[in-house]
Amino acid sequence: MSDDLKTPLLDELEKGAWPSFVKDLKSMADKKPMVKDLLGQLEKSYADKRGYWKHGGLVGVMGYGGGVIGRYSALPDEFPGVSHFHTMRVNQPSGWFYTSDALNELFDIWDEHGSGLLNVHGSTGDLVFLGTVTDELEPTFRALTAKNWDLGGSGSDLRTPSCCVGPARCENACYDTLALSYDLTHNYQDELHRPMFNYKYKIKMSGCPNDCTAAIARSDMGIIGIWKDDIQVDQAAFAEYIDSEMDIQGSVVDKCPTGCISVEGKEIKIDNSNCVKCMHCINTLPKALRVGKERGAAITLGAKAPIVEGALFGSVMIPFMDMSNFEDMHDLIDRIWEFWDEHGKNRERIGECIERIGLATFLEGIGLDPVPQMVKQPRDNPYIFYEEYFEEEEEA
Amino acid sequence: MSTTTERRTDIGPPHYEQFLHPLIKKNYGQWKYHEVLRPGVLSHTAESGDVIYTVRAASPRLISTNFGRKLTALAAKYADGYLRFTSRNNVEFLLANKDNIDPLIKELEEFTLVGGTGRSITNVVHTQGWVHCHSSATDASGLVKVVMDELSDYFTSMKLPHKVRLAVACCLNMCGAVHASDIAILGVHRTPPRIDHSTLPNLCEIPTTVASCPNNAIRPTSIEGRSTVKVDEDKCMYCGNCYTVCPAMPLSDPLNDGVSIWVGGKISNARTEPMFTKLAIPYIPNNPPRWPEVTDAVKNIVEVYAKNAKPFERVGEWIGRIGWPKFFDLTGIEFTKYHLDDFRHAGTTYKRSLQNRY
Amino acid sequence: MAGISIEQIADDMYQLVAESAGQKKLKSTDLTKAMTSKYGDQVSKQDCKAAIKLLIDSGRCVYGYFGGSSIELPHKEASAN
Repeated sequence: MSDDLKTPLLDELEKGAWPSFVKDLKSMADKKPMVKDLLGQLEKSYADKRGYWKHGGLVGVMGYGGGVIGRYSALPDEFPGVSHFHTMRVNQPSGWFYTSDALNELFDIWDEHGSGLLNVHGSTGDLVFLGTVTDELEPTFRALTAKNWDLGGSGSDLRTPSCCVGPARCENACYDTLALSYDLTHNYQDELHRPMFNYKYKIKMSGCPNDCTAAIARSDMGIIGIWKDDIQVDQAAFAEYIDSEMDIQGSVVDKCPTGCISVEGKEIKIDNSNCVKCMHCINTLPKALRVGKERGAAITLGAKAPIVEGALFGSVMIPFMDMSNFEDMHDLIDRIWEFWDEHGKNRERIGECIERIGLATFLEGIGLDPVPQMVKQPRDNPYIFYEEYFEEEEEA
Repeated sequence: MSTTTERRTDIGPPHYEQFLHPLIKKNYGQWKYHEVLRPGVLSHTAESGDVIYTVRAASPRLISTNFGRKLTALAAKYADGYLRFTSRNNVEFLLANKDNIDPLIKELEEFTLVGGTGRSITNVVHTQGWVHCHSSATDASGLVKVVMDELSDYFTSMKLPHKVRLAVACCLNMCGAVHASDIAILGVHRTPPRIDHSTLPNLCEIPTTVASCPNNAIRPTSIEGRSTVKVDEDKCMYCGNCYTVCPAMPLSDPLNDGVSIWVGGKISNARTEPMFTKLAIPYIPNNPPRWPEVTDAVKNIVEVYAKNAKPFERVGEWIGRIGWPKFFDLTGIEFTKYHLDDFRHAGTTYKRSLQNRY
Repeated sequence: MAGISIEQIADDMYQLVAESAGQKKLKSTDLTKAMTSKYGDQVSKQDCKAAIKLLIDSGRCVYGYFGGSSIELPHKEASAN
């Protein structure tokens, strides 16, 4: 690396067992003045205990309002290489599957047009190209689209949908998360690239209640696989677990939240009518137990991080939805957006909108009937806004 | 703008099918069960009897194409050119040939760690920090590095009561999943933006700056005849949105910025319902480059959990069983007035029974 | 009766954006609501979407971001010196 770059503080991060991003970044510093200045500015941040970035809101590629985040150094004279340091979000393939060839092509594009630094992956799911100048945005975009890649979302738009590994490599997948993610991303390109909402709208798809994409915590709309019928049991495989060292009572039976599992001899009995699909027994005995055959997805709405009104988990809007085709999903999403567009305020996420307006009003607006699976409990206050009541004269 | 070739837009990502290993394509949706063969190595067996092996390794998330090309070269050499990433920034190589596992791991271990499966501390979900973010109160990549250096033994083994999910977010915007992790490190600003009234009128649009505040804490005002803004400091929650639109309102405060530590969140539905993280330590000053106070605090919580939790208990489930007083007692963490909620629905966090341990 | 042309909607929207420049950043929804209150049933949301696309694709307006996305007149990069 260059002699004139001194990073005594960052050098401390080259030590230790965990892979060092500093070591890695330094390997680029000679090739890329941008990376050298990034390290220089980061060293200064470490010395001064503060960041030195400015946000800029007006860069992008022609026609799109999403996919590019403008970023500028607050110290452009000292670190001219990072005076511009914009981010481009490249829409990842479903399930983050790649081939070496495809990734190498992306690396070639980014080595040519940007810093050669990236995130694998961003919090929303995109492959994030980290750091380029305004003049390179359009050429990068052209190079990407020439190889059949496109940008993801940012700003008040549909954020890049993302999904778990799903049926590609998981026996728990209750629907095809990869296919749905692909379908929604392509069906809503306009909403993804041209911000037209009150605020962001994230969709995450997990194939089962283990929820590996954190849909219930991190997406405005979670589509989480679930089944309705009995857990599939392979009693022979269960008997093998019994014969092993495993403490079935302590590890499985006692851990069932509804106490619906019992063991008779070498057989497992499950009271499926009381099973809440928590997945613990299936996770613990993967060879013996599998999700049921009548599969679909539960739809949750409203998860978000704290700003403004506090963090929210998603809450159940549809306890079970058939996922054999995606037409109903498009219809549902369209109805939700229509309502949010009409009733939501600027910067109000769908979860906050529902809390402000009331779940009952929201359900009426999108044409869903209330069901007890939507609540932890019915209300415990008596302030009911009755809409139907008898008038004196009508009573006869 | 001159166009030599047709400009393509709205094409979306390429179809995932072209990136699936032939064994995966063949057995798509037909997987029967999986096994964790050893830390970082999974096997998935299909109804057909086919088996695909997965080797999982850490990435720092922030990587260069040099690091990336090492991964693609290894995938080409050992995994027929097929690899994927997980939702927690790990890389996974998909192997048809079991004999390739050991040589692949040997080469991986020259520059990273293999592990992150089962009852481990897997890779950390995190944000940009000082590397790229304008509103960060701390660095993210550096914190992840020092914390995982300290806990790497838990990444490469499976000896904890259950999995422990770590997250780092560098400010309250929480681009990382801090609000639902077993242990989370959250960067905090503790003072409102300092307004530079001499430059603000030239640098910033007043109405835009006023509108940028999610909490309506910014009001237009005038000082010595010049239009500027004032901040209602009681309403400010240090999110940095105003600095986004107005560079004359810097939020960074090297003296006061730092991190807080949160515990007990989870996302999965296994056994118990998903839980939010709760405050464990309100404030630790930034102490780069290695934040020793933070790594000590996280390690302490992990070790107390490892020693006291029962098998299959996540951090939040363990605390649920023993109660919060005992958590503070066992970890030696001080309980302060900052642990008392004073936001909306704060009362729901007050103890409203006499079921306490003495 | 014949609806309002996309070009006309785009021109009206451009007028609004120009008038509020430096005062208030207008969002996609602000423009759409302004058009539906001006023209009632003669414009649809789809027309408004098309008009915004026309404004952006022609370069007359650009997307901006300030904690939420807005539609603005093109101007020089604010922070790049």
